[in-house]
Amino acid sequence: MDWANKINKFLDTMSSEHYQKLLLTGLWTTVKIAILGLLIGIVIGTIIATVKVSPKYKLLPRILDKICTVYVAIFRGTPIAVQLLLAYYVLLPMMGVKGVPAVNVGIVVFGLNSGAYVSEIMRSGLNSVDVGQMEAGRSVGLGYGTTMLKIIIPQAIKNILPTIGNEFISLIKETSVLSFIAVSDLYVALIQHVAAVKYEWVIPYIVLALIYFVLVLIITLLIRILEKILAKNDRTKGKPKRKKQLVS
Amino acid sequence: MENANLLEIKNLTKSFGELNVLNGIDFTVMQGERIFVIGPSGSGKSTLLRCLNCMEDPTTGEIWFNGENLADLKVDINKHRRQIGMVFQQFNLFNNKTVLQNITLAPTYLRKKDQNKIKTANFFKKIANLFRKNKKELAPTISAKQITEEENERAMKLLKRIGLEDKANAYPSTLSGGQKQRIAIVRSLAMNPKVMLFDEPTSALDPEMVGEVLQLMKDVADEGMTMVVVTHEMGFAREAATRVLFMDEGLIKEDGTPEQVFDSPRDERLQEFLSKVL
Ligand SMILES: Nc1ncnc2c1ncn2[C@@H]1O[C@H](COP(=O)(O)OP(=O)(O)OP(=O)(O)O)[C@@H](O)[C@H]1O
Ligand SMILES: [Mg+2]
Repeated sequence: MDWANKINKFLDTMSSEHYQKLLLTGLWTTVKIAILGLLIGIVIGTIIATVKVSPKYKLLPRILDKICTVYVAIFRGTPIAVQLLLAYYVLLPMMGVKGVPAVNVGIVVFGLNSGAYVSEIMRSGLNSVDVGQMEAGRSVGLGYGTTMLKIIIPQAIKNILPTIGNEFISLIKETSVLSFIAVSDLYVALIQHVAAVKYEWVIPYIVLALIYFVLVLIITLLIRILEKILAKNDRTKGKPKRKKQLVS
Repeated sequence: MENANLLEIKNLTKSFGELNVLNGIDFTVMQGERIFVIGPSGSGKSTLLRCLNCMEDPTTGEIWFNGENLADLKVDINKHRRQIGMVFQQFNLFNNKTVLQNITLAPTYLRKKDQNKIKTANFFKKIANLFRKNKKELAPTISAKQITEEENERAMKLLKRIGLEDKANAYPSTLSGGQKQRIAIVRSLAMNPKVMLFDEPTSALDPEMVGEVLQLMKDVADEGMTMVVVTHEMGFAREAATRVLFMDEGLIKEDGTPEQVFDSPRDERLQEFLSKVL
């Protein structure tokens, strides 16, 4: 393979400001959809998990529970690419909605999809919180919902943070299917635009892999730092930090 | 109010599926009484205590408090639980909150919620007043900020009382068992309860920390707090109780003063139990 030639072709294309911008915009789109998707997923996942772990004496919680079960089954039972295509090319036209930017469809579908996965993570998080915490909250007169919101869910989220990080990483990687509905994400920018200029795909594919890899590396690092901060907060918030003793 | 009935338990039963844990409990807790519940493991002491604030819903029977039957599922149980303190064997401090927040969380939140209700009512009154000749007076309100300040101040006072004011901003994970339990007791006190329930408050503690918790309980008792205490600390029961209940097989087998129960037990099972634990 003539590597020098291939690299030159790539660098040549990338020297144009137009393609630099395109690549950065694509990168930003990828990250944006993953972040917003995850946020929506956390909200939906928390709601579903709460419904799942709540007592079901009454009719309403039982109905909600069934709805959540169906929801999770649907979103986990079909590939996200199919969900995207269905939403964009079937569901929206069927409802007569026009002109929704594909990016927004992407965000919503990724959010709904990740909600199904986060709900399972969240459920294990909620179960990992000692029942005594709920009892203590109830014993001082707080309602079930208030105790959930102020005591149980914060502790659950802290416990599942590493797993949520993994979910974020898979979301980032899965965004590459956004090209199915023609969202200009990182993949489209590199492979459909940059590479197409000189009909040279080898380097763009390698660069694509590298960028995803570095992205995931950065996220992993950020999650580590976040975990450390939370763990530290636990022990010393508001206390003056002890000076390191030089002489022991 | 002296000698008023605070809690009246009538023919209380509780089953977990096939297992009948409480088989018809009757007793009354009067203002200022300190009732200690003793009995062998599995006799239903914790279950009884947990039924008193409906942490477990009774299977049948009545629990009268503030003129309402708590066993009735239609009762707003949260309203009553504010006045029934509960101290757990495992402390159960809120792990995600600082010591100070542990104490202030519920009173602050609930008082603000009450205030919001009053403010909403006032708002409608104001609108109605526009059309009234005889204007109705608005209910007095306090600001959310003031509630926060008041509760923080009160909590700091309580912490000072137990000598832990320097731990106000620490998280529970940094505290010793004895410190946790004393804070848990103070957290209950911050609600100004009419009665406090203790379920083996010292059983999870290292021996050297039992004393400080019992001392705090004595102090609370000396202030006239009505208490129901499940314990295996017989010495403490004899010293602090005004009345002792002996439970066995989900029934109260003996009910009397500490002297009666400990010195001249009548029930055979009680005699056997005491010979083992004393
Ligand atoms: N949530 C529950 N579900 C099923 N069975 C339960 C439950 N809680 C308690 N039990 C059972 O009820 C019986 C009485 O339990 P309880 O905790 O009230 O006893 P106890 O007198 O407090 O004993 P100990 O001194 O060991 O604390 C036990 O056989 C226990 O296994
Ligand atoms: Mg018990």
